[in-house]
Amino acid sequence: MLAVRPKLKPVGKSWMEDNMRKRNIIALASLLAGTILSGAVAGAQEAQGQEALLERIARLEQELAALKAELHENAARVQQSEEKVAEIPTLAERIDAIDARTQATETLVYNPPLPKARWHLAGYADASLIVSDAPEGPDSFSAGMFNPSFHFQYKDIVMFESELEFSFNSEGETDLELEYTQADILLGDNNVLVIGKYLSPVGQFQERLHPSWINKSVDAPAGFGHDGLQPASDVGVQLRGVLPFGDESRLTYVFAVGNGPRMNLEGGVELEGFTSDDNDNKSLGGRIGLLPVPWLEVGASLLTADVKGLEGTVAEPDTPEPTTADFTLWGADMAITRNGWDVRFEYLNARRGAIFSALPHEEEAGAEGIGLASAGHEETAPAGDTEVTFLPRLKMEAWYAQLAYKLSGITGARYVKNLEPVVRYGEFHINGNDELREENAEKRFNIGLNYWLAPSIVARVGVEWRNFAAEERETERRFQLQFAYGF
Amino acid sequence: MKRLPILAAALPLAVLVGMAAAGEPQKTQKNVPDPVQVARGAKAWAENCGRCHNIRDPKEFNDEIWEVSVTHMRIRANLPGKMAEDIKAFLKASNN
Repeated sequence: MLAVRPKLKPVGKSWMEDNMRKRNIIALASLLAGTILSGAVAGAQEAQGQEALLERIARLEQELAALKAELHENAARVQQSEEKVAEIPTLAERIDAIDARTQATETLVYNPPLPKARWHLAGYADASLIVSDAPEGPDSFSAGMFNPSFHFQYKDIVMFESELEFSFNSEGETDLELEYTQADILLGDNNVLVIGKYLSPVGQFQERLHPSWINKSVDAPAGFGHDGLQPASDVGVQLRGVLPFGDESRLTYVFAVGNGPRMNLEGGVELEGFTSDDNDNKSLGGRIGLLPVPWLEVGASLLTADVKGLEGTVAEPDTPEPTTADFTLWGADMAITRNGWDVRFEYLNARRGAIFSALPHEEEAGAEGIGLASAGHEETAPAGDTEVTFLPRLKMEAWYAQLAYKLSGITGARYVKNLEPVVRYGEFHINGNDELREENAEKRFNIGLNYWLAPSIVARVGVEWRNFAAEERETERRFQLQFAYGF
Repeated sequence: MKRLPILAAALPLAVLVGMAAAGEPQKTQKNVPDPVQVARGAKAWAENCGRCHNIRDPKEFNDEIWEVSVTHMRIRANLPGKMAEDIKAFLKASNN
Protein backbone atom coordinates (compact mmCIF):
# COMPACT_ATOMS: atom_id res chain seq x y z
CA MET A 1 0.00 0.00 0.00
CA LEU A 2 1.31 3.37 -1.01
CA ALA A 3 1.40 6.20 1.48
CA VAL A 4 0.48 9.66 0.18
CA ARG A 5 3.08 12.12 1.15
CA PRO A 6 1.56 15.70 1.63
CA LYS A 7 3.13 18.64 -0.22
CA LEU A 8 5.02 20.87 2.24
CA LYS A 9 4.50 24.66 2.25
CA PRO A 10 6.42 27.36 4.17
CA VAL A 11 3.81 28.37 6.71
CA GLY A 12 3.71 29.32 10.39
CA LYS A 13 3.85 26.91 13.37
CA SER A 14 0.13 26.48 13.88
CA TRP A 15 -0.39 26.05 10.33
CA MET A 16 2.28 23.68 10.29
CA GLU A 17 0.92 21.82 13.26
CA ASP A 18 -2.45 21.82 11.77
CA ASN A 19 -1.08 20.77 8.59
CA MET A 20 0.88 18.13 10.32
CA ARG A 21 -2.25 16.88 12.01
CA LYS A 22 -4.06 16.73 8.77
CA ARG A 23 -1.31 14.92 7.23
CA ASN A 24 -1.35 12.39 10.04
CA ILE A 25 -5.05 12.00 9.79
CA ILE A 26 -4.78 11.53 6.12
CA ALA A 27 -2.00 9.14 6.64
CA LEU A 28 -3.92 7.23 9.19
CA ALA A 29 -6.98 7.25 7.04
CA SER A 30 -4.98 6.15 4.13
CA LEU A 31 -3.40 3.56 6.23
CA LEU A 32 -6.72 2.43 7.51
CA ALA A 33 -8.23 2.48 4.10
CA GLY A 34 -5.32 0.65 2.72
CA THR A 35 -5.54 -1.83 5.44
CA ILE A 36 -9.22 -2.29 4.93
CA LEU A 37 -8.80 -2.39 1.25
CA SER A 38 -6.01 -4.81 1.40
CA GLY A 39 -7.98 -6.94 3.85
CA ALA A 40 -10.92 -6.93 1.56
CA VAL A 41 -8.80 -7.84 -1.35
CA ALA A 42 -7.09 -10.51 0.65
CA GLY A 43 -10.42 -11.91 1.82
CA ALA A 44 -11.69 -11.97 -1.65
CA GLN A 45 -8.63 -13.71 -2.83
CA GLU A 46 -8.78 -16.25 0.03
CA ALA A 47 -12.42 -17.10 -0.68
CA GLN A 48 -11.60 -17.56 -4.28
CA GLY A 49 -8.70 -19.94 -3.41
CA GLN A 50 -10.77 -22.03 -1.06
CA GLU A 51 -13.38 -22.56 -3.71
CA ALA A 52 -10.79 -23.70 -6.19
CA LEU A 53 -9.26 -25.89 -3.60
CA LEU A 54 -12.56 -27.50 -2.84
CA GLU A 55 -13.16 -28.06 -6.51
CA ARG A 56 -9.74 -29.57 -6.79
CA ILE A 57 -10.29 -31.72 -3.78
CA ALA A 58 -13.57 -32.92 -5.20
CA ARG A 59 -11.93 -33.65 -8.44
CA LEU A 60 -9.12 -35.45 -6.72
CA GLU A 61 -11.62 -37.46 -4.73
CA GLN A 62 -13.32 -38.46 -7.91
CA GLU A 63 -10.04 -39.41 -9.42
CA LEU A 64 -9.13 -41.29 -6.28
CA ALA A 65 -12.41 -43.19 -6.35
CA ALA A 66 -11.85 -44.01 -9.99
CA LEU A 67 -8.33 -45.15 -9.23
CA LYS A 68 -9.60 -47.26 -6.34
CA ALA A 69 -12.19 -48.88 -8.57
CA GLU A 70 -9.59 -49.49 -11.22
CA LEU A 71 -7.21 -50.87 -8.64
CA HIS A 72 -9.88 -53.18 -7.27
CA GLU A 73 -10.69 -54.36 -10.76
CA ASN A 74 -7.04 -54.93 -11.49
CA ALA A 75 -6.62 -56.82 -8.25
CA ALA A 76 -9.49 -59.07 -9.23
CA ARG A 77 -7.94 -59.60 -12.61
CA VAL A 78 -4.61 -60.37 -11.03
CA GLN A 79 -6.24 -62.88 -8.72
CA GLN A 80 -8.02 -64.53 -11.61
CA SER A 81 -4.79 -64.62 -13.54
CA GLU A 82 -2.96 -66.11 -10.61
CA GLU A 83 -5.65 -68.76 -10.29
CA LYS A 84 -5.37 -69.56 -13.97
CA VAL A 85 -1.61 -69.68 -13.75
CA ALA A 86 -1.92 -72.00 -10.79
CA GLU A 87 -4.08 -74.29 -12.88
CA ILE A 88 -1.47 -74.54 -15.62
CA PRO A 89 0.66 -77.70 -14.99
CA THR A 90 4.30 -77.28 -14.55
CA LEU A 91 6.68 -78.53 -17.19
CA ALA A 92 7.53 -81.55 -15.06
CA GLU A 93 3.87 -82.30 -14.60
CA ARG A 94 3.31 -82.05 -18.33
CA ILE A 95 6.22 -84.38 -18.99
CA ASP A 96 4.86 -86.83 -16.44
CA ALA A 97 1.48 -86.72 -18.11
CA ILE A 98 3.05 -87.35 -21.50
CA ASP A 99 5.02 -90.25 -20.04
CA ALA A 100 1.88 -91.75 -18.58
CA ARG A 101 0.08 -91.49 -21.90
CA THR A 102 3.07 -92.97 -23.68
CA GLN A 103 3.23 -95.91 -21.29
CA ALA A 104 -0.47 -96.50 -21.65
CA THR A 105 -0.07 -96.53 -25.42
CA GLU A 106 2.88 -98.88 -25.19
CA THR A 107 0.88 -101.15 -22.94
CA LEU A 108 -1.75 -101.45 -25.61
CA VAL A 109 0.83 -101.95 -28.32
CA TYR A 110 3.16 -104.38 -26.57
CA ASN A 111 0.77 -106.10 -24.25
CA PRO A 112 -2.75 -105.75 -25.52
CA PRO A 113 -5.39 -106.99 -23.14
CA LEU A 114 -6.25 -110.56 -23.91
CA PRO A 115 -9.62 -112.08 -23.22
CA LYS A 116 -9.87 -114.22 -20.13
CA ALA A 117 -11.03 -117.12 -22.25
CA ARG A 118 -8.98 -117.83 -25.34
CA TRP A 119 -8.56 -120.76 -27.64
CA HIS A 120 -6.34 -122.14 -30.31
CA LEU A 121 -6.87 -124.62 -33.12
CA ALA A 122 -3.73 -126.62 -33.74
CA GLY A 123 -3.00 -130.09 -35.03
CA TYR A 124 -1.51 -131.75 -38.05
CA ALA A 125 -2.35 -133.52 -41.26
CA ASP A 126 -0.51 -135.67 -43.75
CA ALA A 127 -0.84 -137.52 -47.02
CA SER A 128 1.37 -140.37 -48.16
CA LEU A 129 2.26 -142.74 -50.95
CA ILE A 130 3.65 -146.14 -50.04
CA VAL A 131 5.00 -148.59 -52.60
CA SER A 132 5.88 -152.04 -51.29
CA ASP A 133 7.75 -154.93 -52.89
CA ALA A 134 5.98 -157.52 -50.73
CA PRO A 135 3.69 -159.87 -52.68
CA GLU A 136 0.73 -158.82 -50.60
CA GLY A 137 2.12 -155.38 -49.90
CA PRO A 138 0.09 -152.29 -50.59
CA ASP A 139 0.99 -149.84 -53.33
CA SER A 140 -1.32 -147.06 -52.51
CA PHE A 141 -1.87 -143.46 -51.94
CA SER A 142 -2.97 -142.67 -48.47
CA ALA A 143 -4.93 -139.65 -47.45
CA GLY A 144 -3.25 -140.07 -44.12
CA MET A 145 -4.69 -138.37 -41.14
CA PHE A 146 -6.23 -135.10 -40.19
CA ASN A 147 -5.79 -134.42 -36.51
CA PRO A 148 -7.27 -131.14 -35.34
CA SER A 149 -6.43 -130.29 -31.77
CA PHE A 150 -8.45 -127.79 -29.80
CA HIS A 151 -6.99 -125.84 -26.91
CA PHE A 152 -9.27 -123.77 -24.71
CA GLN A 153 -7.70 -121.77 -21.93
CA TYR A 154 -9.25 -119.74 -19.15
CA LYS A 155 -6.70 -117.32 -17.75
CA ASP A 156 -3.81 -119.16 -16.13
CA ILE A 157 -6.17 -121.45 -14.30
CA VAL A 158 -7.22 -124.23 -16.60
CA MET A 159 -6.79 -125.47 -20.14
CA PHE A 160 -8.99 -127.97 -21.90
CA GLU A 161 -7.46 -129.73 -24.85
CA SER A 162 -8.73 -132.37 -27.15
CA GLU A 163 -7.49 -133.98 -30.34
CA LEU A 164 -9.53 -135.77 -32.94
CA GLU A 165 -8.14 -138.10 -35.56
CA PHE A 166 -9.86 -138.41 -38.90
CA SER A 167 -8.56 -141.17 -41.11
CA PHE A 168 -9.67 -143.62 -43.78
CA ASN A 169 -9.68 -147.34 -43.29
CA SER A 170 -8.82 -149.81 -46.02
CA GLU A 171 -12.45 -149.82 -47.18
CA GLY A 172 -12.39 -146.09 -47.74
CA GLU A 173 -14.64 -145.44 -44.80
CA THR A 174 -13.90 -142.57 -42.49
CA ASP A 175 -12.69 -143.41 -39.04
CA LEU A 176 -12.98 -140.88 -36.27
CA GLU A 177 -11.25 -141.30 -32.95
CA LEU A 178 -10.70 -139.15 -29.94
CA GLU A 179 -6.97 -139.29 -29.41
CA TYR A 180 -7.14 -137.52 -26.11
CA THR A 181 -9.37 -135.14 -24.23
CA GLN A 182 -8.16 -133.70 -20.99
CA ALA A 183 -8.49 -130.85 -18.56
CA ASP A 184 -5.24 -129.31 -17.35
CA ILE A 185 -5.46 -127.51 -14.03
CA LEU A 186 -2.44 -125.28 -13.51
CA LEU A 187 -1.20 -125.65 -9.96
CA GLY A 188 1.00 -122.63 -9.58
CA ASP A 189 4.20 -122.32 -11.50
CA ASN A 190 5.49 -125.82 -11.94
CA ASN A 191 2.70 -128.35 -11.52
CA VAL A 192 -0.30 -129.38 -13.56
CA LEU A 193 -3.12 -131.71 -12.65
CA VAL A 194 -4.42 -133.53 -15.74
CA ILE A 195 -7.81 -135.21 -15.75
CA GLY A 196 -9.34 -137.19 -18.58
CA LYS A 197 -8.01 -139.25 -21.45
CA TYR A 198 -4.37 -138.37 -21.94
CA LEU A 199 -1.54 -139.56 -24.13
CA SER A 200 0.57 -142.04 -22.27
CA PRO A 201 3.58 -140.44 -20.61
CA VAL A 202 5.56 -143.68 -20.96
CA GLY A 203 8.55 -142.93 -23.13
CA GLN A 204 8.86 -140.03 -25.53
CA PHE A 205 7.47 -141.09 -28.87
CA GLN A 206 3.80 -141.37 -28.13
CA GLU A 207 3.41 -138.23 -26.07
CA ARG A 208 5.70 -135.91 -27.98
CA LEU A 209 6.97 -137.30 -31.26
CA HIS A 210 4.18 -139.20 -32.98
CA PRO A 211 2.55 -136.30 -34.95
CA SER A 212 3.56 -136.75 -38.55
CA TRP A 213 5.16 -133.33 -38.86
CA ILE A 214 7.32 -134.06 -35.80
CA ASN A 215 8.09 -137.71 -36.50
CA LYS A 216 11.28 -137.87 -38.53
CA SER A 217 10.11 -140.80 -40.64
CA VAL A 218 6.88 -141.68 -42.37
CA ASP A 219 5.80 -144.24 -39.83
CA ALA A 220 6.51 -145.12 -36.24
CA PRO A 221 9.39 -147.29 -35.08
CA ALA A 222 8.64 -150.99 -34.73
CA GLY A 223 6.77 -151.56 -31.49
CA PHE A 224 5.84 -147.93 -31.08
CA GLY A 225 2.72 -146.06 -32.04
CA HIS A 226 -0.85 -147.29 -31.95
CA ASP A 227 -0.03 -150.84 -32.82
CA GLY A 228 2.90 -151.36 -30.59
CA LEU A 229 4.15 -151.98 -27.14
CA GLN A 230 4.25 -148.35 -26.15
CA PRO A 231 0.97 -147.41 -24.46
CA ALA A 232 -1.09 -145.00 -26.53
CA SER A 233 -3.27 -143.42 -23.87
CA ASP A 234 -5.02 -143.95 -20.59
CA VAL A 235 -8.00 -142.51 -18.76
CA GLY A 236 -7.33 -141.19 -15.31
CA VAL A 237 -5.40 -138.53 -13.50
CA GLN A 238 -1.90 -137.18 -13.91
CA LEU A 239 0.19 -134.96 -11.74
CA ARG A 240 2.99 -133.61 -13.83
CA GLY A 241 5.53 -130.91 -13.32
CA VAL A 242 9.10 -129.80 -13.22
CA LEU A 243 11.71 -129.16 -10.60
CA PRO A 244 14.34 -126.70 -11.84
CA PHE A 245 17.73 -126.81 -10.20
CA GLY A 246 21.10 -125.27 -10.90
CA ASP A 247 21.49 -122.72 -13.63
CA GLU A 248 19.68 -124.57 -16.38
CA SER A 249 19.03 -128.11 -15.13
CA ARG A 250 15.67 -129.55 -14.27
CA LEU A 251 13.88 -132.70 -13.33
CA THR A 252 10.53 -133.42 -14.93
CA TYR A 253 7.98 -135.85 -13.61
CA VAL A 254 4.64 -137.38 -14.52
CA PHE A 255 2.73 -139.56 -12.08
CA ALA A 256 -0.37 -141.14 -13.51
CA VAL A 257 -3.23 -143.24 -12.21
CA GLY A 258 -5.54 -144.70 -14.81
CA ASN A 259 -7.95 -147.42 -15.71
CA GLY A 260 -5.10 -149.32 -17.27
CA PRO A 261 -4.75 -151.83 -20.11
CA ARG A 262 -6.91 -154.81 -21.02
CA MET A 263 -6.41 -158.18 -22.58
CA ASN A 264 -7.36 -158.50 -26.22
CA LEU A 265 -8.48 -161.50 -28.21
CA GLU A 266 -5.03 -162.01 -29.64
CA GLY A 267 -3.59 -162.79 -26.24
CA GLY A 268 -1.82 -159.47 -26.13
CA VAL A 269 -2.33 -156.46 -23.97
CA GLU A 270 -4.28 -153.55 -25.35
CA LEU A 271 -2.65 -150.35 -24.17
CA GLU A 272 -5.32 -147.86 -25.11
CA GLY A 273 -7.30 -145.64 -22.80
CA PHE A 274 -10.52 -147.30 -21.64
CA THR A 275 -13.30 -145.36 -20.05
CA SER A 276 -13.91 -148.06 -17.48
CA ASP A 277 -11.75 -150.48 -15.58
CA ASP A 278 -12.30 -154.19 -15.94
CA ASN A 279 -10.70 -155.00 -12.62
CA ASP A 280 -10.09 -153.51 -9.21
CA ASN A 281 -6.55 -152.44 -9.93
CA LYS A 282 -5.75 -149.07 -11.34
CA SER A 283 -2.70 -148.67 -13.48
CA LEU A 284 0.09 -146.73 -11.89
CA GLY A 285 2.90 -145.24 -13.83
CA GLY A 286 4.68 -142.25 -15.15
CA ARG A 287 8.00 -140.94 -16.23
CA ILE A 288 10.95 -139.15 -14.69
CA GLY A 289 13.06 -137.02 -17.01
CA LEU A 290 16.40 -135.45 -16.21
CA LEU A 291 17.80 -132.56 -18.20
CA PRO A 292 21.26 -131.71 -16.87
CA VAL A 293 21.55 -129.29 -19.78
CA PRO A 294 18.75 -128.18 -22.11
CA TRP A 295 20.02 -130.22 -25.06
CA LEU A 296 20.27 -133.55 -23.22
CA GLU A 297 17.39 -135.48 -21.72
CA VAL A 298 17.33 -138.93 -20.21
CA GLY A 299 14.18 -140.52 -18.94
CA ALA A 300 12.82 -143.56 -17.19
CA SER A 301 9.23 -144.77 -17.42
CA LEU A 302 7.08 -147.28 -15.64
CA LEU A 303 3.58 -148.70 -15.99
CA THR A 304 2.25 -151.35 -13.68
CA ALA A 305 -1.23 -152.77 -13.68
CA ASP A 306 -3.29 -155.92 -13.62
CA VAL A 307 -5.08 -157.31 -16.62
CA LYS A 308 -8.15 -159.48 -16.41
CA GLY A 309 -8.70 -162.48 -18.60
CA LEU A 310 -11.54 -162.26 -21.09
CA GLU A 311 -14.67 -164.36 -20.79
CA GLY A 312 -15.14 -166.95 -23.48
CA THR A 313 -18.29 -167.85 -25.38
CA VAL A 314 -17.56 -171.55 -25.54
CA ALA A 315 -18.29 -173.27 -22.23
CA GLU A 316 -16.92 -176.79 -22.26
CA PRO A 317 -17.24 -178.85 -19.09
CA ASP A 318 -13.58 -178.42 -18.33
CA THR A 319 -13.24 -174.85 -19.51
CA PRO A 320 -11.26 -172.85 -16.96
CA GLU A 321 -12.32 -169.50 -15.59
CA PRO A 322 -10.52 -166.34 -16.65
CA THR A 323 -7.85 -165.17 -14.25
CA THR A 324 -5.96 -161.97 -13.58
CA ALA A 325 -2.30 -161.35 -14.24
CA ASP A 326 0.11 -158.55 -13.52
CA PHE A 327 1.46 -156.40 -16.29
CA THR A 328 4.63 -154.38 -15.89
CA LEU A 329 6.23 -152.17 -18.47
CA TRP A 330 9.34 -150.10 -17.97
CA GLY A 331 11.35 -148.02 -20.33
CA ALA A 332 14.32 -145.77 -20.78
CA ASP A 333 14.88 -143.01 -23.27
CA MET A 334 17.49 -140.50 -24.24
CA ALA A 335 17.55 -137.49 -26.55
CA ILE A 336 20.31 -135.19 -27.71
CA THR A 337 19.24 -132.16 -29.71
CA ARG A 338 21.99 -129.74 -30.47
CA ASN A 339 23.42 -127.79 -33.41
CA GLY A 340 21.10 -129.42 -35.92
CA TRP A 341 21.56 -132.91 -34.53
CA ASP A 342 18.61 -134.98 -33.33
CA VAL A 343 19.75 -138.19 -31.69
CA ARG A 344 17.24 -140.40 -29.90
CA PHE A 345 17.01 -143.75 -28.27
CA GLU A 346 14.07 -145.45 -26.61
CA TYR A 347 13.72 -148.81 -24.98
CA LEU A 348 10.60 -150.57 -23.66
CA ASN A 349 10.35 -153.85 -21.80
CA ALA A 350 7.08 -155.46 -20.76
CA ARG A 351 6.03 -158.58 -18.89
CA ARG A 352 2.58 -160.03 -18.58
CA GLY A 353 2.09 -162.89 -16.17
CA ALA A 354 0.54 -166.21 -17.17
CA ILE A 355 -3.20 -165.91 -17.50
CA PHE A 356 -6.40 -167.69 -18.50
CA SER A 357 -8.09 -165.55 -21.10
CA ALA A 358 -10.32 -166.05 -24.10
CA LEU A 359 -8.90 -166.55 -27.55
CA PRO A 360 -10.73 -167.28 -30.76
CA HIS A 361 -11.97 -170.85 -30.73
CA GLU A 362 -9.84 -173.19 -32.74
CA GLU A 363 -12.38 -173.22 -35.52
CA GLU A 364 -12.40 -169.42 -35.53
CA ALA A 365 -8.68 -168.89 -35.28
CA GLY A 366 -7.33 -167.46 -38.47
CA ALA A 367 -10.60 -165.84 -39.37
CA GLU A 368 -9.35 -162.65 -37.82
CA GLY A 369 -5.95 -161.18 -38.12
CA ILE A 370 -3.96 -161.89 -35.03
CA GLY A 371 -1.67 -159.28 -33.74
CA LEU A 372 -1.15 -156.12 -31.81
CA ALA A 373 -1.70 -154.22 -35.00
CA SER A 374 -5.38 -154.18 -34.33
CA ALA A 375 -5.00 -152.98 -30.78
CA GLY A 376 -7.05 -149.93 -30.17
CA HIS A 377 -8.72 -150.00 -33.53
CA GLU A 378 -10.88 -153.11 -33.23
CA GLU A 379 -13.70 -154.02 -30.98
CA THR A 380 -12.75 -156.37 -28.18
CA ALA A 381 -15.96 -158.29 -28.70
CA PRO A 382 -15.25 -161.59 -30.41
CA ALA A 383 -16.00 -161.99 -34.07
CA GLY A 384 -16.87 -165.60 -33.39
CA ASP A 385 -16.69 -168.15 -30.63
CA THR A 386 -13.98 -167.70 -28.09
CA GLU A 387 -12.63 -170.08 -25.52
CA VAL A 388 -10.77 -169.43 -22.33
CA THR A 389 -7.26 -170.69 -22.81
CA PHE A 390 -4.11 -170.75 -20.77
CA LEU A 391 -1.64 -168.15 -21.97
CA PRO A 392 1.92 -168.43 -20.75
CA ARG A 393 3.97 -165.52 -19.59
CA LEU A 394 4.42 -162.95 -22.30
CA LYS A 395 7.57 -160.92 -22.79
CA MET A 396 7.83 -158.01 -25.14
CA GLU A 397 10.66 -155.70 -25.91
CA ALA A 398 10.98 -152.79 -28.32
CA TRP A 399 13.63 -150.23 -28.98
CA TYR A 400 14.88 -147.86 -31.63
CA ALA A 401 17.76 -145.53 -32.25
CA GLN A 402 17.41 -142.53 -34.54
CA LEU A 403 19.82 -140.04 -35.98
CA ALA A 404 18.84 -136.94 -37.91
CA TYR A 405 20.77 -133.86 -38.93
CA LYS A 406 19.63 -130.57 -40.44
CA LEU A 407 22.03 -129.39 -43.11
CA SER A 408 21.36 -125.82 -42.08
CA GLY A 409 24.02 -126.54 -39.47
CA ILE A 410 26.75 -126.62 -42.11
CA THR A 411 25.42 -124.60 -45.02
CA GLY A 412 23.23 -121.65 -45.78
CA ALA A 413 22.83 -122.62 -49.41
CA ARG A 414 19.34 -122.23 -50.71
CA TYR A 415 17.33 -125.45 -50.79
CA VAL A 416 20.24 -127.48 -49.42
CA LYS A 417 19.91 -125.95 -45.99
CA ASN A 418 16.33 -127.24 -45.81
CA LEU A 419 17.37 -130.88 -46.08
CA GLU A 420 17.50 -133.28 -43.17
CA PRO A 421 18.78 -136.84 -43.63
CA VAL A 422 17.40 -139.41 -41.20
CA VAL A 423 18.48 -142.90 -40.21
CA ARG A 424 16.54 -145.09 -37.81
CA TYR A 425 16.78 -148.68 -36.71
CA GLY A 426 14.54 -150.54 -34.29
CA GLU A 427 13.51 -153.98 -33.14
CA PHE A 428 10.36 -155.43 -31.66
CA HIS A 429 10.60 -158.79 -29.90
CA ILE A 430 7.78 -160.93 -28.57
CA ASN A 431 8.22 -164.15 -26.60
CA GLY A 432 5.48 -166.31 -25.15
CA ASN A 433 2.93 -166.04 -27.93
CA ASP A 434 4.00 -167.37 -31.30
CA GLU A 435 1.11 -165.88 -33.21
CA LEU A 436 1.73 -162.45 -31.82
CA ARG A 437 5.41 -162.79 -32.53
CA GLU A 438 4.94 -163.89 -36.12
CA GLU A 439 2.56 -161.08 -36.81
CA ASN A 440 4.36 -158.24 -35.12
CA ALA A 441 7.94 -158.98 -34.21
CA GLU A 442 10.35 -157.45 -36.65
CA LYS A 443 13.49 -155.48 -37.24
CA ARG A 444 12.92 -152.23 -39.05
CA PHE A 445 15.46 -150.02 -40.75
CA ASN A 446 14.65 -146.64 -42.20
CA ILE A 447 16.58 -144.10 -44.17
CA GLY A 448 14.96 -140.93 -45.32
CA LEU A 449 15.37 -137.37 -46.42
CA ASN A 450 13.21 -134.55 -45.16
CA TYR A 451 12.82 -131.29 -46.99
CA TRP A 452 11.46 -128.51 -44.79
CA LEU A 453 9.38 -126.07 -46.79
CA ALA A 454 8.70 -124.25 -43.55
CA PRO A 455 9.45 -125.06 -39.91
CA SER A 456 6.26 -127.10 -39.66
CA ILE A 457 5.77 -128.22 -43.27
CA VAL A 458 7.79 -131.13 -44.53
CA ALA A 459 8.01 -133.24 -47.66
CA ARG A 460 9.86 -136.48 -47.03
CA VAL A 461 11.00 -139.52 -48.92
CA GLY A 462 12.15 -142.72 -47.34
CA VAL A 463 12.97 -146.35 -47.77
CA GLU A 464 12.04 -148.88 -45.12
CA TRP A 465 13.21 -152.45 -44.71
CA ARG A 466 11.12 -154.78 -42.57
CA ASN A 467 12.66 -158.04 -41.50
CA PHE A 468 9.96 -160.09 -39.79
CA ALA A 469 10.46 -162.69 -37.10
CA ALA A 470 8.11 -165.05 -38.92
CA GLU A 471 10.28 -167.26 -41.05
CA GLU A 472 7.69 -167.54 -43.77
CA ARG A 473 7.51 -163.80 -44.24
CA GLU A 474 10.00 -162.30 -46.59
CA THR A 475 11.76 -159.08 -45.94
CA GLU A 476 9.65 -156.25 -47.17
CA ARG A 477 10.93 -153.05 -48.68
CA ARG A 478 8.76 -149.94 -48.77
CA PHE A 479 9.27 -146.71 -50.64
CA GLN A 480 7.56 -143.87 -48.90
CA LEU A 481 6.56 -140.36 -49.79
CA GLN A 482 4.81 -138.09 -47.35
CA PHE A 483 3.70 -134.52 -47.02
CA ALA A 484 2.96 -133.37 -43.50
CA TYR A 485 1.88 -130.08 -42.02
CA GLY A 486 1.73 -129.07 -38.38
CA PHE A 487 -0.54 -126.13 -37.77
CA MET B 1 -4.38 -156.13 -3.97
CA LYS B 2 -6.54 -153.09 -4.29
CA ARG B 3 -4.48 -150.06 -5.04
CA LEU B 4 -7.33 -147.64 -5.42
CA PRO B 5 -7.73 -146.64 -1.76
CA ILE B 6 -4.01 -145.99 -1.47
CA LEU B 7 -3.98 -144.05 -4.69
CA ALA B 8 -7.08 -142.14 -3.73
CA ALA B 9 -5.30 -140.98 -0.61
CA ALA B 10 -1.99 -140.37 -2.32
CA LEU B 11 -3.31 -138.29 -5.17
CA PRO B 12 -4.79 -135.43 -3.12
CA LEU B 13 -1.65 -135.45 -1.01
CA ALA B 14 0.47 -135.15 -4.12
CA VAL B 15 -1.71 -132.33 -5.36
CA LEU B 16 -1.43 -130.50 -2.07
CA VAL B 17 2.33 -130.93 -2.02
CA GLY B 18 2.47 -129.67 -5.56
CA MET B 19 0.35 -126.66 -4.78
CA ALA B 20 2.35 -125.89 -1.67
CA ALA B 21 5.60 -126.10 -3.58
CA ALA B 22 4.27 -123.98 -6.36
CA GLY B 23 4.78 -120.27 -6.45
CA GLU B 24 2.54 -117.68 -7.98
CA PRO B 25 2.78 -117.67 -11.73
CA GLN B 26 4.95 -114.88 -12.98
CA LYS B 27 2.97 -112.40 -15.00
CA THR B 28 4.08 -110.41 -17.97
CA GLN B 29 1.69 -107.55 -17.33
CA LYS B 30 4.38 -104.96 -17.70
CA ASN B 31 3.96 -101.84 -19.66
CA VAL B 32 6.77 -102.63 -22.03
CA PRO B 33 8.74 -105.80 -22.63
CA ASP B 34 11.50 -106.30 -20.14
CA PRO B 35 14.59 -106.70 -22.32
CA VAL B 36 16.11 -109.13 -19.85
CA GLN B 37 12.98 -111.25 -19.82
CA VAL B 38 12.76 -111.15 -23.60
CA ALA B 39 16.37 -112.28 -23.85
CA ARG B 40 15.70 -115.12 -21.42
CA GLY B 41 12.65 -116.05 -23.44
CA ALA B 42 14.58 -116.11 -26.70
CA LYS B 43 17.16 -118.42 -25.17
CA ALA B 44 14.52 -120.71 -23.67
CA TRP B 45 12.63 -120.71 -26.97
CA ALA B 46 15.70 -121.82 -28.89
CA GLU B 47 16.81 -124.41 -26.36
CA ASN B 48 13.52 -126.09 -25.55
CA CYS B 49 11.15 -125.94 -28.51
CA GLY B 50 13.71 -127.63 -30.72
CA ARG B 51 13.99 -130.61 -28.40
CA CYS B 52 11.00 -132.24 -30.09
CA HIS B 53 10.17 -130.31 -33.24
CA ASN B 54 11.42 -127.54 -35.47
CA ILE B 55 11.34 -124.07 -34.07
CA ARG B 56 8.50 -122.09 -35.56
CA ASP B 57 8.76 -118.53 -36.75
CA PRO B 58 7.96 -116.29 -33.75
CA LYS B 59 5.77 -114.22 -36.07
CA GLU B 60 3.74 -117.22 -37.17
CA PHE B 61 0.96 -116.57 -34.68
CA ASN B 62 -0.48 -113.53 -32.96
CA ASP B 63 -0.18 -112.90 -29.25
CA GLU B 64 -3.43 -114.58 -28.31
CA ILE B 65 -2.58 -117.77 -30.13
CA TRP B 66 0.92 -117.80 -28.70
CA GLU B 67 -0.56 -117.38 -25.24
CA VAL B 68 -2.57 -120.58 -25.62
CA SER B 69 0.05 -122.45 -27.59
CA VAL B 70 2.79 -121.80 -25.06
CA THR B 71 0.53 -122.89 -22.22
CA HIS B 72 -0.17 -126.10 -24.12
CA MET B 73 3.53 -126.71 -24.64
CA ARG B 74 4.32 -125.79 -21.06
CA ILE B 75 2.11 -128.71 -20.04
CA ARG B 76 3.27 -131.14 -22.71
CA ALA B 77 6.99 -130.44 -22.32
CA ASN B 78 6.92 -129.89 -18.56
CA LEU B 79 8.35 -126.40 -18.81
CA PRO B 80 8.66 -124.27 -15.69
CA GLY B 81 5.97 -121.61 -15.52
CA LYS B 82 8.49 -118.78 -15.33
CA MET B 83 10.22 -120.10 -18.43
CA ALA B 84 6.91 -120.23 -20.25
CA GLU B 85 6.26 -116.61 -19.29
CA ASP B 86 9.70 -115.63 -20.59
CA ILE B 87 8.95 -117.37 -23.88
CA LYS B 88 5.60 -115.59 -24.15
CA ALA B 89 7.32 -112.25 -23.54
CA PHE B 90 9.79 -113.02 -26.30
CA LEU B 91 7.10 -114.07 -28.76
CA LYS B 92 4.95 -111.03 -28.04
CA ALA B 93 7.95 -108.76 -28.41
CA SER B 94 8.68 -110.44 -31.73
CA ASN B 95 5.23 -109.48 -32.93
CA ASN B 96 5.75 -105.78 -32.25
